[in-house]
Amino acid sequence: MSFWSGQQYQSPGGFDPQLPRTLFLLLLSVASARGVTQNPKDCVAFQSEKGSSISCHPPAELPSSLPADTFHLVLELFNLTQLPPDILKGASKLQELHLSSNRLESLAAEFLLPAPQLRVLDLTRNALTRLPPGLFQASAALETVVLKENQLEVLEASWLHGLKALGFLDLSGNRLRKLPAGLLANFTLLRTLDLGGNQLETLPPDLLRGPLRLQRLHLEGNRLQVLGKELLEPQPDLRYLFLNDNKLAKVAAGAFRGLRQLDMLDLSNNSLASVPEGLWAPLAQPGRDMQDGFDISGNPWICDQKLNDLYRWLEATKDKMFSQNATRCAGPEAVKGQTLLAVAGSQ
Amino acid sequence: MGDAEAGKKIFIQKCAQSHTVEKGGKHKTGPNLWGLFGQSPGFSYTDANKNKGIIWGEETLMEYLENPKKYIPGTKMVFAGLKKKSEREDLIQYLKWATS
Repeated sequence: MSFWSGQQYQSPGGFDPQLPRTLFLLLLSVASARGVTQNPKDCVAFQSEKGSSISCHPPAELPSSLPADTFHLVLELFNLTQLPPDILKGASKLQELHLSSNRLESLAAEFLLPAPQLRVLDLTRNALTRLPPGLFQASAALETVVLKENQLEVLEASWLHGLKALGFLDLSGNRLRKLPAGLLANFTLLRTLDLGGNQLETLPPDLLRGPLRLQRLHLEGNRLQVLGKELLEPQPDLRYLFLNDNKLAKVAAGAFRGLRQLDMLDLSNNSLASVPEGLWAPLAQPGRDMQDGFDISGNPWICDQKLNDLYRWLEATKDKMFSQNATRCAGPEAVKGQTLLAVAGSQ
Repeated sequence: MGDAEAGKKIFIQKCAQSHTVEKGGKHKTGPNLWGLFGQSPGFSYTDANKNKGIIWGEETLMEYLENPKKYIPGTKMVFAGLKKKSEREDLIQYLKWATS
Protein backbone atom coordinates (compact mmCIF):
# COMPACT_ATOMS: atom_id res chain seq x y z
CA MET A 1 0.00 0.00 0.00
CA SER A 2 1.07 3.57 -0.33
CA PHE A 3 1.17 5.89 2.64
CA TRP A 4 0.74 9.57 2.92
CA SER A 5 4.29 10.73 2.41
CA GLY A 6 4.24 13.07 5.44
CA GLN A 7 3.61 10.59 8.20
CA GLN A 8 2.42 12.14 11.43
CA TYR A 9 3.94 11.09 14.70
CA GLN A 10 1.52 11.83 17.49
CA SER A 11 1.17 10.77 21.06
CA PRO A 12 -2.38 9.65 21.76
CA GLY A 13 -3.17 12.48 24.15
CA GLY A 14 -2.24 15.35 21.84
CA PHE A 15 0.67 17.03 20.27
CA ASP A 16 4.22 15.84 20.69
CA PRO A 17 5.41 18.06 23.55
CA GLN A 18 8.88 18.32 22.06
CA LEU A 19 7.59 19.97 18.93
CA PRO A 20 6.66 23.63 19.32
CA ARG A 21 3.04 24.14 18.43
CA THR A 22 3.66 26.74 15.74
CA LEU A 23 6.18 24.54 13.99
CA PHE A 24 3.76 21.65 14.09
CA LEU A 25 0.98 23.73 12.61
CA LEU A 26 3.33 24.96 9.91
CA LEU A 27 4.20 21.39 9.01
CA LEU A 28 0.51 20.53 8.93
CA SER A 29 -0.42 23.34 6.61
CA VAL A 30 2.45 22.55 4.26
CA ALA A 31 1.71 18.87 4.32
CA SER A 32 -1.99 19.20 3.69
CA ALA A 33 -1.74 21.60 0.76
CA ARG A 34 -2.95 19.47 -2.09
CA GLY A 35 -0.53 18.63 -4.81
CA VAL A 36 2.47 19.64 -2.73
CA THR A 37 3.21 16.67 -0.53
CA GLN A 38 -0.01 14.68 -0.20
CA ASN A 39 -1.07 12.38 -2.98
CA PRO A 40 -4.87 12.22 -2.87
CA LYS A 41 -4.68 8.67 -4.13
CA ASP A 42 -3.05 7.60 -0.88
CA CYS A 43 -4.70 6.46 2.29
CA VAL A 44 -3.92 8.60 5.31
CA ALA A 45 -1.80 6.97 7.95
CA PHE A 46 -1.06 7.97 11.52
CA GLN A 47 1.55 6.41 13.70
CA SER A 48 1.45 6.30 17.47
CA GLU A 49 2.72 3.99 20.15
CA LYS A 50 -0.52 2.05 19.74
CA GLY A 51 0.45 1.27 16.16
CA SER A 52 -0.80 2.32 12.74
CA SER A 53 -4.11 4.00 12.11
CA ILE A 54 -5.09 3.82 8.43
CA SER A 55 -7.89 5.82 6.87
CA CYS A 56 -8.94 5.31 3.23
CA HIS A 57 -11.56 7.16 1.22
CA PRO A 58 -11.97 7.68 -2.50
CA PRO A 59 -10.04 8.67 -4.52
CA ALA A 60 -7.57 6.58 -2.51
CA GLU A 61 -7.53 2.93 -3.37
CA LEU A 62 -8.11 0.05 -1.03
CA PRO A 63 -4.86 -1.01 0.55
CA SER A 64 -3.49 -4.23 -0.88
CA SER A 65 -1.81 -5.01 2.41
CA LEU A 66 -1.83 -3.60 5.91
CA PRO A 67 1.04 -2.94 8.32
CA ALA A 68 1.27 -5.65 10.96
CA ASP A 69 0.74 -3.08 13.71
CA THR A 70 -2.52 -1.70 12.25
CA PHE A 71 -4.91 -1.21 15.14
CA HIS A 72 -7.43 1.13 13.54
CA LEU A 73 -8.71 0.89 9.95
CA VAL A 74 -11.23 3.09 8.17
CA LEU A 75 -12.46 2.19 4.68
CA GLU A 76 -15.44 4.37 3.89
CA LEU A 77 -17.44 5.88 1.04
CA PHE A 78 -16.28 3.37 -1.53
CA ASN A 79 -18.62 2.12 -4.19
CA LEU A 80 -17.98 -1.51 -3.32
CA THR A 81 -20.49 -4.34 -3.15
CA GLN A 82 -17.90 -6.74 -1.76
CA LEU A 83 -14.65 -6.44 0.07
CA PRO A 84 -11.68 -8.48 -1.04
CA PRO A 85 -12.05 -11.45 1.34
CA ASP A 86 -8.44 -11.20 2.53
CA ILE A 87 -8.57 -7.46 3.13
CA LEU A 88 -7.62 -7.91 6.80
CA LYS A 89 -4.84 -10.37 6.18
CA GLY A 90 -1.90 -9.72 8.51
CA ALA A 91 -3.76 -7.19 10.65
CA SER A 92 -3.72 -9.35 13.74
CA LYS A 93 -3.63 -6.34 16.07
CA LEU A 94 -6.72 -4.70 14.57
CA GLN A 95 -9.05 -3.23 17.18
CA GLU A 96 -11.39 -1.02 15.24
CA LEU A 97 -12.77 -1.48 11.75
CA HIS A 98 -14.91 1.26 10.25
CA LEU A 99 -16.62 0.25 7.01
CA SER A 100 -19.56 2.63 6.90
CA SER A 101 -21.10 4.07 3.75
CA ASN A 102 -19.83 1.55 1.29
CA ARG A 103 -22.36 -0.51 -0.69
CA LEU A 104 -21.49 -3.85 0.80
CA GLU A 105 -24.08 -6.47 -0.11
CA SER A 106 -22.43 -9.40 1.56
CA LEU A 107 -19.51 -10.29 3.76
CA ALA A 108 -17.22 -13.25 3.34
CA ALA A 109 -17.61 -15.66 6.25
CA GLU A 110 -13.84 -15.69 6.91
CA PHE A 111 -13.10 -12.03 6.56
CA LEU A 112 -12.80 -11.30 10.31
CA LEU A 113 -10.69 -14.36 11.10
CA PRO A 114 -7.35 -12.49 10.80
CA ALA A 115 -8.48 -9.97 13.44
CA PRO A 116 -9.25 -11.76 16.71
CA GLN A 117 -8.60 -8.64 18.79
CA LEU A 118 -11.28 -6.62 17.04
CA ARG A 119 -13.33 -4.56 19.49
CA VAL A 120 -15.38 -2.30 17.21
CA LEU A 121 -17.03 -3.11 13.87
CA ASP A 122 -18.99 -0.36 12.16
CA LEU A 123 -20.99 -1.40 9.09
CA THR A 124 -23.40 1.57 9.10
CA ARG A 125 -25.00 2.36 5.75
CA ASN A 126 -24.28 -0.64 3.62
CA ALA A 127 -26.62 -2.98 1.78
CA LEU A 128 -26.39 -6.13 3.85
CA THR A 129 -29.42 -8.39 3.84
CA ARG A 130 -27.87 -11.16 5.84
CA LEU A 131 -24.73 -12.19 7.67
CA PRO A 132 -22.83 -15.35 6.80
CA PRO A 133 -22.84 -18.12 9.42
CA GLY A 134 -19.57 -18.15 11.31
CA LEU A 135 -18.77 -14.51 10.64
CA PHE A 136 -18.03 -13.87 14.30
CA GLN A 137 -16.50 -17.21 15.22
CA ALA A 138 -13.14 -15.56 16.02
CA SER A 139 -14.67 -12.38 17.42
CA ALA A 140 -14.66 -13.09 21.15
CA ALA A 141 -13.24 -9.60 21.79
CA LEU A 142 -15.81 -7.74 19.71
CA GLU A 143 -17.73 -5.35 21.97
CA THR A 144 -19.45 -2.99 19.53
CA VAL A 145 -21.29 -4.15 16.43
CA VAL A 146 -23.12 -1.58 14.34
CA LEU A 147 -25.34 -2.73 11.48
CA LYS A 148 -27.33 0.47 11.37
CA GLU A 149 -29.05 1.36 8.09
CA ASN A 150 -28.55 -1.82 6.16
CA GLN A 151 -31.30 -3.89 4.54
CA LEU A 152 -31.81 -6.67 7.04
CA GLU A 153 -35.34 -8.01 6.79
CA VAL A 154 -34.75 -10.99 8.98
CA LEU A 155 -32.28 -11.79 11.69
CA GLU A 156 -31.13 -15.22 12.77
CA ALA A 157 -29.68 -15.80 16.22
CA SER A 158 -27.00 -17.99 14.68
CA TRP A 159 -25.57 -15.03 12.77
CA LEU A 160 -24.40 -13.56 16.08
CA HIS A 161 -22.73 -16.68 17.45
CA GLY A 162 -19.27 -16.05 18.87
CA LEU A 163 -19.88 -12.53 20.18
CA LYS A 164 -19.07 -13.34 23.79
CA ALA A 165 -18.02 -9.79 24.69
CA LEU A 166 -20.82 -7.97 22.88
CA GLY A 167 -21.81 -4.86 24.81
CA PHE A 168 -23.37 -2.64 22.16
CA LEU A 169 -25.53 -3.93 19.32
CA ASP A 170 -27.03 -1.49 16.86
CA LEU A 171 -29.53 -2.92 14.38
CA SER A 172 -31.41 0.34 13.84
CA GLY A 173 -32.66 1.53 10.51
CA ASN A 174 -33.15 -1.88 8.91
CA ARG A 175 -36.37 -3.59 7.79
CA LEU A 176 -36.82 -6.07 10.58
CA ARG A 177 -40.43 -7.16 10.98
CA LYS A 178 -39.91 -9.75 13.61
CA LEU A 179 -37.16 -11.11 15.79
CA PRO A 180 -36.30 -14.73 16.42
CA ALA A 181 -36.75 -16.34 19.83
CA GLY A 182 -33.61 -16.54 21.94
CA LEU A 183 -31.84 -13.80 20.00
CA LEU A 184 -30.06 -12.46 23.07
CA ALA A 185 -29.91 -15.66 25.08
CA ASN A 186 -26.12 -15.91 25.13
CA PHE A 187 -25.04 -12.32 25.63
CA THR A 188 -23.81 -11.73 29.15
CA LEU A 189 -22.32 -8.28 28.62
CA LEU A 190 -24.90 -6.62 26.37
CA ARG A 191 -25.72 -3.19 27.75
CA THR A 192 -27.17 -1.33 24.78
CA LEU A 193 -29.56 -2.72 22.20
CA ASP A 194 -30.78 -0.45 19.43
CA LEU A 195 -33.66 -1.76 17.35
CA GLY A 196 -35.02 1.67 16.45
CA GLY A 197 -36.34 2.50 13.01
CA ASN A 198 -37.36 -0.98 11.93
CA GLN A 199 -40.81 -2.41 11.17
CA LEU A 200 -41.34 -4.45 14.30
CA GLU A 201 -45.00 -5.08 15.03
CA THR A 202 -44.50 -7.50 17.86
CA LEU A 203 -41.63 -8.68 20.01
CA PRO A 204 -41.06 -12.18 21.33
CA PRO A 205 -42.11 -11.88 24.99
CA ASP A 206 -38.85 -13.56 26.05
CA LEU A 207 -36.70 -11.24 23.93
CA LEU A 208 -34.90 -9.76 26.93
CA ARG A 209 -34.55 -12.97 28.90
CA GLY A 210 -31.00 -14.11 29.45
CA PRO A 211 -27.82 -13.26 31.33
CA LEU A 212 -27.59 -9.80 29.75
CA ARG A 213 -28.02 -6.70 31.89
CA LEU A 214 -29.41 -4.04 29.58
CA GLN A 215 -29.04 -0.39 30.37
CA ARG A 216 -30.34 1.11 27.15
CA LEU A 217 -33.12 -0.22 24.97
CA HIS A 218 -34.10 1.57 21.78
CA LEU A 219 -37.40 0.52 20.22
CA GLU A 220 -38.45 3.87 18.81
CA GLY A 221 -39.78 4.18 15.30
CA ASN A 222 -41.33 0.75 14.93
CA ARG A 223 -44.94 -0.46 14.69
CA LEU A 224 -45.47 -1.85 18.15
CA GLN A 225 -49.09 -1.79 19.28
CA VAL A 226 -48.90 -3.38 22.68
CA LEU A 227 -46.40 -3.32 25.53
CA GLY A 228 -46.92 -6.50 27.52
CA LYS A 229 -45.98 -7.05 31.12
CA GLU A 230 -43.39 -9.74 30.47
CA LEU A 231 -41.09 -7.91 28.08
CA LEU A 232 -39.18 -5.68 30.48
CA GLU A 233 -39.42 -7.89 33.54
CA PRO A 234 -36.01 -9.56 33.03
CA GLN A 235 -34.19 -6.21 32.81
CA PRO A 236 -34.35 -4.37 36.14
CA ASP A 237 -31.16 -2.44 35.41
CA LEU A 238 -32.74 -0.63 32.48
CA ARG A 239 -31.91 3.09 32.54
CA TYR A 240 -33.04 4.37 29.15
CA LEU A 241 -36.15 3.13 27.39
CA PHE A 242 -37.22 4.60 24.06
CA LEU A 243 -40.65 3.52 22.85
CA ASN A 244 -41.58 6.72 21.05
CA ASP A 245 -43.01 6.78 17.56
CA ASN A 246 -44.71 3.43 17.60
CA LYS A 247 -48.43 2.62 17.47
CA LEU A 248 -48.80 1.77 21.13
CA ALA A 249 -52.42 1.75 22.14
CA LYS A 250 -52.14 -0.55 25.09
CA VAL A 251 -49.62 -0.78 27.93
CA ALA A 252 -50.09 -3.59 30.44
CA ALA A 253 -50.47 -2.63 34.08
CA GLY A 254 -47.26 -4.27 35.22
CA ALA A 255 -45.16 -3.27 32.22
CA PHE A 256 -42.71 -1.13 34.23
CA ARG A 257 -42.68 -3.21 37.36
CA GLY A 258 -39.18 -3.60 38.71
CA LEU A 259 -37.64 -0.81 36.61
CA ARG A 260 -36.17 0.96 39.58
CA GLN A 261 -33.19 2.40 37.70
CA LEU A 262 -35.10 4.04 34.87
CA ASP A 263 -33.77 7.50 34.10
CA MET A 264 -35.41 8.16 30.78
CA LEU A 265 -38.71 6.94 29.37
CA ASP A 266 -39.98 8.11 26.01
CA LEU A 267 -43.53 7.14 25.08
CA SER A 268 -44.19 10.14 22.87
CA ASN A 269 -46.01 9.91 19.55
CA ASN A 270 -47.97 6.76 20.12
CA SER A 271 -51.70 6.01 20.24
CA LEU A 272 -52.20 6.03 23.97
CA ALA A 273 -55.62 7.24 25.05
CA SER A 274 -55.41 5.72 28.47
CA VAL A 275 -53.10 3.70 30.66
CA PRO A 276 -53.87 1.41 33.58
CA GLU A 277 -53.68 2.45 37.19
CA GLY A 278 -50.47 1.51 38.93
CA LEU A 279 -48.40 1.68 35.75
CA TRP A 280 -46.24 4.54 36.96
CA ALA A 281 -45.74 3.56 40.58
CA PRO A 282 -42.42 1.73 40.04
CA LEU A 283 -40.86 4.78 38.39
CA ALA A 284 -39.63 7.84 40.26
CA GLN A 285 -40.04 6.67 43.82
CA PRO A 286 -39.46 8.89 46.85
CA GLY A 287 -35.75 9.50 47.14
CA ARG A 288 -35.07 8.41 43.59
CA ASP A 289 -35.83 10.71 40.69
CA MET A 290 -35.73 9.79 37.09
CA GLN A 291 -32.51 11.59 36.28
CA ASP A 292 -33.27 12.63 32.73
CA GLY A 293 -37.05 12.57 32.42
CA PHE A 294 -39.97 11.25 30.47
CA ASP A 295 -42.09 12.20 27.51
CA ILE A 296 -45.72 11.21 26.96
CA SER A 297 -46.55 13.91 24.43
CA GLY A 298 -48.13 13.29 21.06
CA ASN A 299 -50.68 10.81 22.35
CA PRO A 300 -54.49 11.08 22.08
CA TRP A 301 -55.07 11.17 25.83
CA ILE A 302 -58.64 10.91 27.05
CA CYS A 303 -58.44 12.97 30.20
CA ASP A 304 -61.09 11.33 32.33
CA GLN A 305 -61.09 9.73 35.80
CA LYS A 306 -59.20 6.75 34.48
CA LEU A 307 -56.10 8.92 34.32
CA ASN A 308 -56.26 9.97 37.98
CA ASP A 309 -53.26 7.84 38.82
CA LEU A 310 -51.29 9.46 36.00
CA TYR A 311 -52.32 12.95 37.14
CA ARG A 312 -51.00 12.23 40.64
CA TRP A 313 -47.76 10.98 39.20
CA LEU A 314 -47.40 13.97 36.91
CA GLU A 315 -47.90 16.39 39.78
CA ALA A 316 -45.01 14.72 41.59
CA THR A 317 -42.66 14.44 38.62
CA LYS A 318 -43.53 17.33 36.32
CA ASP A 319 -40.13 18.98 36.55
CA LYS A 320 -38.82 15.96 34.66
CA MET A 321 -41.50 16.09 32.00
CA PHE A 322 -40.42 16.82 28.44
CA SER A 323 -42.73 18.47 25.91
CA GLN A 324 -45.27 19.65 28.46
CA ASN A 325 -47.01 21.88 25.93
CA ALA A 326 -47.33 19.05 23.47
CA THR A 327 -48.92 16.71 26.02
CA ARG A 328 -52.58 17.43 25.54
CA CYS A 329 -56.03 15.89 25.91
CA ALA A 330 -57.81 14.69 22.81
CA GLY A 331 -61.00 14.27 24.83
CA PRO A 332 -63.48 14.30 26.44
CA GLU A 333 -64.98 17.37 24.83
CA ALA A 334 -64.87 19.50 27.99
CA VAL A 335 -61.07 19.32 28.27
CA LYS A 336 -60.13 18.76 24.67
CA GLY A 337 -56.97 20.68 23.80
CA GLN A 338 -55.91 21.33 27.37
CA THR A 339 -52.53 20.17 28.57
CA LEU A 340 -52.48 17.14 30.82
CA LEU A 341 -50.66 19.20 33.41
CA ALA A 342 -53.50 21.72 33.50
CA VAL A 343 -56.06 18.97 33.96
CA ALA A 344 -53.86 17.23 36.54
CA GLY A 345 -53.47 20.51 38.45
CA SER A 346 -57.18 21.04 38.60
CA GLN A 347 -57.93 17.67 40.15
CA MET B 1 -34.13 28.74 16.11
CA GLY B 2 -33.84 25.30 17.62
CA ASP B 3 -35.62 24.06 20.70
CA ALA B 4 -33.12 23.24 23.43
CA GLU B 5 -35.54 21.04 25.33
CA ALA B 6 -36.14 18.88 22.30
CA GLY B 7 -32.39 18.98 21.73
CA LYS B 8 -31.80 17.64 25.21
CA LYS B 9 -33.93 14.64 24.41
CA ILE B 10 -32.04 14.06 21.20
CA PHE B 11 -28.78 14.29 23.10
CA ILE B 12 -29.96 11.71 25.62
CA GLN B 13 -31.15 9.43 22.88
CA LYS B 14 -28.29 9.66 20.45
CA CYS B 15 -25.24 11.17 22.11
CA ALA B 16 -25.22 10.64 25.87
CA GLN B 17 -24.00 7.11 25.43
CA SER B 18 -20.64 8.47 24.35
CA HIS B 19 -20.48 12.09 25.53
CA THR B 20 -20.98 14.19 28.62
CA VAL B 21 -21.56 17.96 28.41
CA GLU B 22 -20.97 19.41 31.85
CA LYS B 23 -17.71 21.07 32.88
CA GLY B 24 -15.37 18.41 34.14
CA GLY B 25 -17.65 15.67 32.89
CA LYS B 26 -16.00 12.39 32.21
CA HIS B 27 -14.83 11.21 28.84
CA LYS B 28 -16.71 8.18 27.66
CA THR B 29 -16.03 6.59 24.28
CA GLY B 30 -16.16 10.19 23.06
CA PRO B 31 -14.80 13.28 24.79
CA ASN B 32 -16.57 15.55 27.22
CA LEU B 33 -18.08 18.40 25.18
CA TRP B 34 -17.61 21.26 27.60
CA GLY B 35 -16.17 24.24 25.73
CA LEU B 36 -17.31 22.92 22.37
CA PHE B 37 -18.19 26.24 20.82
CA GLY B 38 -15.60 28.66 19.58
CA GLN B 39 -11.90 28.55 20.08
CA SER B 40 -11.07 25.69 22.37
CA PRO B 41 -7.41 24.83 22.30
CA GLY B 42 -7.84 22.02 24.79
CA PHE B 43 -10.62 20.43 22.86
CA SER B 44 -9.63 17.67 20.53
CA TYR B 45 -11.57 14.88 19.03
CA THR B 46 -9.81 12.34 16.93
CA ASP B 47 -6.59 12.32 14.99
CA ALA B 48 -8.61 13.16 11.90
CA ASN B 49 -10.38 16.05 13.57
CA LYS B 50 -7.25 17.68 14.94
CA ASN B 51 -5.77 18.05 11.51
CA LYS B 52 -8.84 19.54 9.93
CA GLY B 53 -8.50 22.56 12.24
CA ILE B 54 -12.21 22.80 12.94
CA ILE B 55 -13.60 25.55 15.10
CA TRP B 56 -17.00 24.35 16.18
CA GLY B 57 -19.91 26.72 15.75
CA GLU B 58 -23.51 26.47 14.60
CA GLU B 59 -22.67 26.15 10.93
CA THR B 60 -19.87 23.64 11.28
CA LEU B 61 -21.98 21.55 13.63
CA MET B 62 -24.98 21.62 11.28
CA GLU B 63 -22.82 20.17 8.55
CA TYR B 64 -20.97 17.77 10.76
CA LEU B 65 -23.99 16.33 12.54
CA GLU B 66 -25.72 15.57 9.26
CA ASN B 67 -23.01 13.15 8.28
CA PRO B 68 -20.06 13.05 10.65
CA LYS B 69 -18.17 10.52 8.61
CA LYS B 70 -18.34 12.57 5.46
CA TYR B 71 -17.38 15.80 7.17
CA ILE B 72 -14.42 14.32 8.95
CA PRO B 73 -13.39 11.18 7.10
CA GLY B 74 -11.71 8.86 9.49
CA THR B 75 -13.57 10.01 12.58
CA LYS B 76 -13.93 7.20 15.07
CA MET B 77 -17.53 8.10 15.77
CA VAL B 78 -19.98 5.38 15.02
CA PHE B 79 -22.85 7.85 15.08
CA ALA B 80 -24.45 7.99 11.68
CA GLY B 81 -25.77 11.53 11.73
CA LEU B 82 -29.07 13.35 12.06
CA LYS B 83 -30.84 13.67 8.76
CA LYS B 84 -33.58 16.01 9.96
CA LYS B 85 -32.50 19.63 9.93
CA SER B 86 -34.85 20.46 12.81
CA GLU B 87 -33.27 17.79 14.98
CA ARG B 88 -29.80 19.19 14.34
CA GLU B 89 -31.00 22.69 15.13
CA ASP B 90 -32.59 21.50 18.36
CA LEU B 91 -29.50 19.59 19.37
CA ILE B 92 -27.21 22.53 18.65
CA GLN B 93 -29.38 24.83 20.76
CA TYR B 94 -29.12 22.39 23.61
CA LEU B 95 -25.37 22.04 23.18
CA LYS B 96 -24.96 25.83 23.15
CA TRP B 97 -26.64 25.98 26.50
CA ALA B 98 -25.19 22.89 28.06
CA THR B 99 -21.53 23.19 27.11
CA SER B 100 -20.83 26.77 28.16
